[in-house]
Amino acid sequence: MTEGRKGYAKPADLPDDVRDHLGSLLIVLADNKRLLGMRYSDWLLGAPALEAGIACSAMAQDEWGHGRILYAMLRDFGYEANQLEHEREASEYRAMELLDAPAGEWPDLLALNLLLDTALSVQFEAMAESRFEPVHYKVSKLLDEERFHFEHGRGWVTRLGGTDAGREALRRSFRPVWEACLRWFGPDGDEAGRALYEAGITDRDAAGLRARWLERVGPVVELARLELAELDGGGSGVWLSRVEPSWDGWDPDVRRAARGGPDAEMLARVRGDKNRPLLMD
Amino acid sequence: MTLVQLERGRGDPRRTATLEEGMNFAAVLADSRGEGQVLPSPPEWTEPPADLAEKCRRALYEVSDPEFLISLVDLGLIYGISAHERSGEVAVRLTFTATACPCTDFIKWDIRERLLELPEVSEVKVEEVWDPPWTTSRISDRGREILQDAGIAIIG
Repeated sequence: MTEGRKGYAKPADLPDDVRDHLGSLLIVLADNKRLLGMRYSDWLLGAPALEAGIACSAMAQDEWGHGRILYAMLRDFGYEANQLEHEREASEYRAMELLDAPAGEWPDLLALNLLLDTALSVQFEAMAESRFEPVHYKVSKLLDEERFHFEHGRGWVTRLGGTDAGREALRRSFRPVWEACLRWFGPDGDEAGRALYEAGITDRDAAGLRARWLERVGPVVELARLELAELDGGGSGVWLSRVEPSWDGWDPDVRRAARGGPDAEMLARVRGDKNRPLLMD
Repeated sequence: MTLVQLERGRGDPRRTATLEEGMNFAAVLADSRGEGQVLPSPPEWTEPPADLAEKCRRALYEVSDPEFLISLVDLGLIYGISAHERSGEVAVRLTFTATACPCTDFIKWDIRERLLELPEVSEVKVEEVWDPPWTTSRISDRGREILQDAGIAIIG
């Protein structure tokens, strides 16, 4: 935890506004984990290599494991975990709009794997030393597991980026995901991001998180010559995006640019509708 | 077709499992829990346990991980045990090898059942913890030997 500053053992100890922002962030993260797991699971069979399908299986399970921990934490924020996990309507989900529909092609899945999954990890990394102890004590395990997701994405992007056809496919798939991920951290000066940073819940505000994400994914997309990021020419080591995100329709509460949510079939799977009669403690 | 309803407390319908009669749920569960699996004998102790917490820890050498043929203690999943000598309340700090462990409920159940067999234990609470993260370095030397004999090499 942040040295020399008092930790918060439970949500009730947090200032009201910080508690609201953190609760909201945890729902956003849990929903993204749940939906991203579904998207990985779409590729358990039919990936370009059997090994890739096995990797998708492992990554899907990791995401659902992380989602399970996050939904459980929300109980202490006054949310009813069962309701959050099993009873919400599609429009109540706060996952990125990119996850509303399946990844159509393998490069689309790689964009989610490398860019979106890393965006979530950057948000968790910012809470590794959080003053909010229940998060602080869980993040390192989540990040341990996420390291393999990044390596998987990096390996595939580097491999596909080595051919003209592969690079073109990656460029088409990565552009919308890139823009959405830049936006996902919120605009510079975002109120929630600033409140969480100032309270020591995170170690960076929205702009700082976006910069850290660029540090992680910039070198990979540059190596694959996707023309999305470049190193600052001044020798600062800072990665810059070549693309500016649009803020049209951006809703900071749900961290989405458009209302929507998973379609009916996906919603039923995400909520576990068919398993409802078997739900037990 | 007759349905059997298994109440799981508080009368909340969402917490009610409905199963077709004839489906031997207990048997399925027992099988999933690994009953019948031969777990290597616990270590041989030369001294009696110093206190109730130590007695509980020793008992957990008899609880296997559902996927590996070693005890939860040898696998390094038990991060701490505290026990109130007079009231018999026991708290176990438990981690899992992965956040997506599919056996979390079975493991917690097995711990409770085994510890409640001790006459001094009145109540068992299991706290799930993730810090520090579990790695294979937490497997005991004894656990490594048992796994190696079963043809499983542990790296790290």
